[in-house]
Amino acid sequence: MVNAPPVDINQIKKIINDYKDSQWPVMPMVEHIQDEIGYIPPQTIPMIAKAVGLFPSQVQSIVTFHDQLYTEPRGKNVVRVCRGTACHVRGGKAILKSIKGRLGLEDGQTSEDFEYTLETVSCMGMCAVAPNMTVGKNIYGNMNLSKVDKVFKKSEG
Amino acid sequence: MQPITISLNGREVSGKQGMTILELAREMGVDIPTLCDDPNLTPIGACRICLVENEQNGDLLASCVTPIETGMVISTQSERVIVHRKTIVKLMLASHPDSCLVCNKGNTCTLRRVATDVGVGMIEFERIADAVEIEQLNPFIERDLSKCVLCAKCIRADQELVVVGAIDYFNRGFDAKPATFGDVPLEQSECTFCGTCVAMCPTGAIMDRGRSYHGTASDEVETTCAYCGCGCSISLGLKGDRIIAITPSKKGGPNNGTLCVRGTCASDVIHSADRLTQPMLRQEEELAPASWLDAIEAAAEGFKRVKGLHGPEALAVISSSTCTNEENYLLQRFTRDVLGTNNIDSSARLHNAVNRAALASTIGIMGANSDLDGLEQSDVIIVVGADPDASAPIVSYAIKRAVKYCGAKLILIDPRETGLSTFADIHIRPDYGTDAALLGGMAKAIVDEGLLDEKTVVEKTNNYDGLKASLSKYTAGSAAIEAAHLYAKANSASIVWGTGLTQHAGGADSVRALINLAILTNQTSGLYALEKECNDRGAFTEPLQGFSALEMIEQIEKGAIKSMLIVGENPILAFPDSGRVEKALSLLECLVVSDMFLTETALIADVVLSSSSFAEKEGTYTNFEGRVGKLNTAIDPIAGSLPDWNIILKLAEAMGSPMPFDDINQVSDEITALVGNESKSGPASFAPVDYVAPSDDTNKEYPFKLLTVSDLYSLGSGTSISHSYRLNKYTSEVYVEIAEEDASKLDIKDGDQVKIATPVGELTAIAKVSDSIPTGTIAIPQTLPTGSANVLFDITLDNETKTSLAKTCNVSLEKVVSNG
Repeated sequence: MVNAPPVDINQIKKIINDYKDSQWPVMPMVEHIQDEIGYIPPQTIPMIAKAVGLFPSQVQSIVTFHDQLYTEPRGKNVVRVCRGTACHVRGGKAILKSIKGRLGLEDGQTSEDFEYTLETVSCMGMCAVAPNMTVGKNIYGNMNLSKVDKVFKKSEG
Repeated sequence: MQPITISLNGREVSGKQGMTILELAREMGVDIPTLCDDPNLTPIGACRICLVENEQNGDLLASCVTPIETGMVISTQSERVIVHRKTIVKLMLASHPDSCLVCNKGNTCTLRRVATDVGVGMIEFERIADAVEIEQLNPFIERDLSKCVLCAKCIRADQELVVVGAIDYFNRGFDAKPATFGDVPLEQSECTFCGTCVAMCPTGAIMDRGRSYHGTASDEVETTCAYCGCGCSISLGLKGDRIIAITPSKKGGPNNGTLCVRGTCASDVIHSADRLTQPMLRQEEELAPASWLDAIEAAAEGFKRVKGLHGPEALAVISSSTCTNEENYLLQRFTRDVLGTNNIDSSARLHNAVNRAALASTIGIMGANSDLDGLEQSDVIIVVGADPDASAPIVSYAIKRAVKYCGAKLILIDPRETGLSTFADIHIRPDYGTDAALLGGMAKAIVDEGLLDEKTVVEKTNNYDGLKASLSKYTAGSAAIEAAHLYAKANSASIVWGTGLTQHAGGADSVRALINLAILTNQTSGLYALEKECNDRGAFTEPLQGFSALEMIEQIEKGAIKSMLIVGENPILAFPDSGRVEKALSLLECLVVSDMFLTETALIADVVLSSSSFAEKEGTYTNFEGRVGKLNTAIDPIAGSLPDWNIILKLAEAMGSPMPFDDINQVSDEITALVGNESKSGPASFAPVDYVAPSDDTNKEYPFKLLTVSDLYSLGSGTSISHSYRLNKYTSEVYVEIAEEDASKLDIKDGDQVKIATPVGELTAIAKVSDSIPTGTIAIPQTLPTGSANVLFDITLDNETKTSLAKTCNVSLEKVVSNG
């Protein structure tokens, strides 16, 4: 297995420094770290804790409480496929199966080269254009298998 | 402020504003069940068991976090309350294993009691299997989180009371649990195994590993812990004649609900299989069991014979800082009245003489003159030459609480990084033995920059001019100046110091230098001298009329002292230069030793008297604050042992001069009648310090400075606490800290076996490469699992205080065996 991309500690130190004197620094700090790095590397938690005057266990508690904060490396592209009812009846299951096959990933897994992470979600709130998926911040509605091909060609190209 | 009136179960009751419903209900004698509530912790409303109904609007409120409001109509047992409370308990039990019958928490489990009280029989809900691996590598605490109800008492105890921060909630929902950083086992975390959470956990999720399946304590006896100078109030849980649980006293005391690992392991020592269960007599070179009658008779005969042949000055007595005030008093009387000599001293001199000399000559007090609450309320705290994390845990808790929760500023003066380093605003790392110069520099900064009320100082104190003149030779660096400003401008400042200051050459001068700081800024009520042993403060007596403890060793070598009574002390380990002390003691014509264990010293005695532990007797200890802690008899003396006070009375009687006491209370009464007010009145006097910089006397043969440090998992000479099987299991090796640079020069890696040697002794240890000590120094605990660092030291007496300088010495270091 390819190792996770190395973490640029200086980049993280800079983010910590930018936020540490604001009033409630932890959440914006860790969100920014996740935006830049893709996740919150556990080895940086003691640095965060020291900067904000908390114990590492306390920062870990905040990070693990929030479902959308991650402590493990994630792919550059996070693919989310909707498994809500509307998407399901309009073929979402086939979309998911096709993507699983194409990426060789199960729900929640990250590819060895850290290009992709596959996740399922319960609803994206846009059932009118079901079935839906997202790649990073790009949203794709009215999906079908040939559109899946296009999406991945685009992100690979 | 107007009281607030509410209706409680149909009764009109009033309380102060800000009071919670639970607090008011308790005050009114109305019982509301709780799981997550504890008087020492911030309420968080986690368990919801305490819910009550506001019948005005039907709201169900967690009474522990809801303040009373005018006009509330509260019912603590309405139908809705009962239904919901039952549901909450059932939901908790749905994810709780059916292990009550074999759970060690057994009859003391709060969850089980609450379930019974609210009448939960069948759980009814579908059970949620909650397979959690039980963690049990450390010998102290066993966690079974399948029994956790997420009340966060352990988390709050850890963060709010002992301020270690080892655990917090981890994940959420069904996955939530208290966990360490990285969810590693406790022994790999910051946890100090203080046992505070163990005593608070309402279920069997956190338990003491030492006493599994011993049943439920049927009785509790409050007493005072004997395992450091803090004198914590503890509660001994008894089942029959065994102590099966040790918890912090519910009545407060200096520790206020907290504890440390040494205290929780005290029962190991008391019930150790190694305890002496009968006196012993030397017969034909071998120690053989003897009756009390024969042993006391032999001891008395020995003393009488030596006295007859060589006179009373050939007799000497060493008492211990682990003996009670009453026992020390009895021994004083025994020595002077019965033996007829003034040769009595106690091991307290080794720990306490320096502080006493410095304090007495300046502000006329014997030790700290305010309590831990005062320390916690300080806004600036200086800690110098002390590692209270290890030497006085509850002092460290108080300092950390002051810094973390009350905004106090901490100035740490220590060459090493300690557990307080991360809490310090300023950490000054002076060279060893140069504290007096640094403190002098701070005093100079205070005077030069006018940070004092000079007029009042001149009026109210003695020798200000003398001090001023003495300060000219000091300089202060920027950190010292900053520290001086912080200290001088504080509303209430405290200084805490320990053996890092007192056991260096000229220790008394270092202490004087810091007292000068306190007098300059009128902060003399915030002086905290930490003590090492449980009764260091009470056992120390001045003036010394005969020989001091260490001088006695020289006197034996000279042939002047021929017989000795040693009570509760093990000089071979406790005094410097173990080899020399052993040789000297074996020269004695008659050596009588009273101890709980067959110590190194007892082994060479002619008569060994088996004494009882602190749990088996009455008496008092005086802790470092000056607080007198009462000992209460929890169990009868273990078979064949007697309390030291009883032994002394028996000896006096056998000597033909019985002492007029039948029990320990009569002794206390006589002490109370004799002892007046201990503090002197009158103005404080500055003590100018004639500082001499320590010369670098390391040489080619012994190029390293060895530093002895305190260790949380051992104490004193290690004689008593080393009989805790749990502490032994946890630290069975001797570790030596070596600075990174030195380690790489000598090609020493973590885990290598190294030899440390001085001209008088040597020992081997496992290397621990560390970045927290300065290059050129190595550090080992004063007390080792296999003996004492004292084997490396020679007897060098501080001129002024006749105490030993067992803090640093020059050593050689070499690698013996590589690790793997």
